[in-house]
Amino acid sequence: MQTTSRLDDVKHLRDIFNAQNSKELKVAFDALNSSIIISEEDLEVQFNRYFVGPMEPIADPFASIYIDDPDVVMSKSTLHVRELYETMGFTNPLKNIIPDDHLGVELDAYYQLLYLEEAKEITYLRELRHYFLHEHLSLWVPRFIARALEQSEHDSKAMIFILLQLKSLLIRETTTQGVTA
Amino acid sequence: MSYSKENVESIVNNGISRRSFLKGLAASGVLSSFPGGILQANEDLNTKIPYLGEKSYQTFRNACPRNCYDTCSIKTYVKDGVMQFIEGATESTYTRGGCCVKGNSYVKRVYSARRLKFPMMQVGGKGSGNWKRISWDQAMDIIAKKLLEMKKEDGTLLGAALTKYSGNFGITHYGIEGMFNSIGYTTRLAGTPCWPAGIDAQNLDMGDMWCNDPEEMKDSKFIILWGVNPASNSVHSMKYIYEAKKKGAKVVVIDPVFTEAASKASQYIQIKTGTDGLLALGMAKIIIDANLHDQKWLDANSKGYKEYKAYLDKEIKLDNVSKITGIPLAMIKELALSFAKAKPATIWMGYGMQRHTNGGSMIRAIDAFVAVSGNIGKYAGGARYGHLSTWGFNYAALSQPKPEGSVGYTGPEGAKGEFAQVGGEKAAYTDRFLNINKTARELINAKEPKVRLLWVACKNVFAQDFDRNQLIRAFQQLDLVVVADQFFNETAKWADIVLPVATQFEEYDVNVSYWHYWLTLNEQAIKPLFEVKSDLEIAAMLSKRMNQLQPGSCTFPQSVDTKAMMVKEFNPGIYEQFGIKSWEELKNGPVKAKAVIPYADGKFKTPSGKFEFYSDKALELFGSALPTYLEVRKPYDKFRMTSPHSRWSLHSQFQNLEWMEDVHPEPYVYINPEDAEAKMVKEGDTVAVFNKQGLLRLKAKLTDNVQAGTVLMYEQWYNNNIYNVNELVDDTSSDMGAFKTGAPGVALHDTFVNFRKL
Ligand code: SF4
Repeated sequence: MQTTSRLDDVKHLRDIFNAQNSKELKVAFDALNSSIIISEEDLEVQFNRYFVGPMEPIADPFASIYIDDPDVVMSKSTLHVRELYETMGFTNPLKNIIPDDHLGVELDAYYQLLYLEEAKEITYLRELRHYFLHEHLSLWVPRFIARALEQSEHDSKAMIFILLQLKSLLIRETTTQGVTA
Repeated sequence: MSYSKENVESIVNNGISRRSFLKGLAASGVLSSFPGGILQANEDLNTKIPYLGEKSYQTFRNACPRNCYDTCSIKTYVKDGVMQFIEGATESTYTRGGCCVKGNSYVKRVYSARRLKFPMMQVGGKGSGNWKRISWDQAMDIIAKKLLEMKKEDGTLLGAALTKYSGNFGITHYGIEGMFNSIGYTTRLAGTPCWPAGIDAQNLDMGDMWCNDPEEMKDSKFIILWGVNPASNSVHSMKYIYEAKKKGAKVVVIDPVFTEAASKASQYIQIKTGTDGLLALGMAKIIIDANLHDQKWLDANSKGYKEYKAYLDKEIKLDNVSKITGIPLAMIKELALSFAKAKPATIWMGYGMQRHTNGGSMIRAIDAFVAVSGNIGKYAGGARYGHLSTWGFNYAALSQPKPEGSVGYTGPEGAKGEFAQVGGEKAAYTDRFLNINKTARELINAKEPKVRLLWVACKNVFAQDFDRNQLIRAFQQLDLVVVADQFFNETAKWADIVLPVATQFEEYDVNVSYWHYWLTLNEQAIKPLFEVKSDLEIAAMLSKRMNQLQPGSCTFPQSVDTKAMMVKEFNPGIYEQFGIKSWEELKNGPVKAKAVIPYADGKFKTPSGKFEFYSDKALELFGSALPTYLEVRKPYDKFRMTSPHSRWSLHSQFQNLEWMEDVHPEPYVYINPEDAEAKMVKEGDTVAVFNKQGLLRLKAKLTDNVQAGTVLMYEQWYNNNIYNVNELVDDTSSDMGAFKTGAPGVALHDTFVNFRKL
């Protein structure tokens, strides 16, 4: 992971959580350069068991589940994230269809904010990005990762890899790029 | 710090700072530099109006479409496209501004993380738990190809079966049957597990099932709640009962179980299960002997009273009635006489009573008692069971023609169900009807052609049907099982494809009740979440794919708008009945049908046009013209088991919500202390309850509310528990049901079990 760019890491993880089928998922997963060999179908079956459903997944990928209410989406923290996106200048074509605080959507926002800074050298939204990272993502993503990792009986190497990538991304973003004082 | 929390929060929440922040944003080049992803740059960034941090509420009209007496009218508050809260509509005097504990959970239900979100396919075989996402197009392609392949191989589509029942009683939901109509002659799981024996009984007696307005009960002078527990299961009716009681009416609960309603009544009478009909016959005899019967009304309005009286005189011995029902004779006499003296007096019969092998005969006996007392056709009187008199919609979604050249079943056609009474044209072929109450067995045994595809909608087969082990076998032998639902349940577990279905807040519909007389518009209040679709949209997508593959193979419209479909259900008759000019008026709130007192004009839709104590039809179909005493099923094990409804769920709905599980976390078996002692079972012990059908393990609660010799378990699906009381129920039929609903009911409460401590 250290060899790929910070921006690419976020992008691949974003694409994993936004994949709509096996193929998209596999492409995004392979882009993370793991040495794990797994078929498209197995990867998706495991991914769905962990994060999608239709049965109760191991860890739901929505912030509200960890911040507001363990059973409900579209609650207070979802709408808080919606306000943040609007303030950042985003519009969300999936508004009221996919909860704004779905991990894939949040990683998309984070990726685009980072892109402004890294690729375009525009820093206007930097403060908002830091706020989003420290006051929102950091509140729930570690708990999401911990919950998913606890279920080691499923022992899916691919899922553990994804979760560890996400964890190390978050650690790097919060420690080296975030609050220093 | 690289950011200031206060600063950012002021930008987000404070109108003035937000405005200037957005102005700077527009100037910064951010918008044209976003790389784009799910989120897009907002090119119409509005920096002119200061943001006030408050978006206003929109309100919508909704209805609770569950299988519940109350069919609440709901007002839904939505902000920025998100449901915030709901309340009972104040315009309906019946709903009167409040829902029940279930209805109040609707926001959490709609936004439950457990909703089905995407169409998915089980790739490792049924029950494997290995699921893959598929697009709607892929799902429809698989189903359409399977249907066309079956049609080619079998020459008919009778290999395709539909099972749908009471998950959503909205009128446009008959579009699911419409979808099956539109592909050809198919197989239907017909009948109803709910109330068929009673429907037949009332139709034999009065030519209809038609009850007085429940709101009239406030003026009743005597109310018998007979085997019904509205305090749990029709909470909105209770206010009328309380009001009547406050005004001096006597409220008596007759029930084998001491229910919540019983605790609120003037008197509770515990009766031995399955003997209610005999009690009614005895009560009739008592008032006739006391000359308190309404001879005038009987002369003018009834047929066969003489034969009925002769039967009572000859066969009904009051000492026997007392002995068999377990009620002291003096109490029976007092009850009968005071009922006869109070005018108007009414009896409300629950649906549990007819789930016996003698269930229909018991409803007939009670109808007869009310008739003898002169309370039929009277304001605030009546033998109340239910009604469908406000259900005269067009059933446009249902009524789809068969594709040209369709070939079907050539056996006799029967009734298909109780609700959508649409006159069918006489055709050379019909659908094939299998008994919904014997689903497992019927699916396995159906031949020529065998059933290969099953579509499940508005129904959780594994929670509500009988004989789980056979059901698994039946599902496993099917080529393709499609489950369209809102939540992942035990039935979905055995599906090949699950399709996520919209809630009532995500589609248009129109709702009426089988109990009260209100009409409610159901508006789409929010966008469908994730990839969920309404049942009608699913039917349209299937039609589109089928027609692409084989033009003309499906007649269902290839695109639908649930609102347009809903509008098509209205007709002048409905407008007239409810006193409105257009459905649009319903946007202002629910409306009530013009008041009519059932049978007040003395006109009955029976063959004789009168109330029939003596029914030739009953003789022909069920072997007895009169409402006679029929003994209930003989015990085949030590204890009777009854399985009534709980207040916390509607069949298997709502119980899966986590917070409902908090208040009602696990199933119990309720045992009389006397029986428990004999078996050395203490409160909280885990016991095995078993019979020839199966075995359940659950905790015991000891209570006098159930009588000795009987155990009670609530019927419902517990989310994280495979508990299903129906595993102990065989599919023995009740006596009636086939006349009006196509198949007899199930004698659910004639189940017998034994138990022991584990
Ligand atoms: S379940 Fe019955 S009482 Fe509760 S909200 Fe729905 S219709 Fe009303």
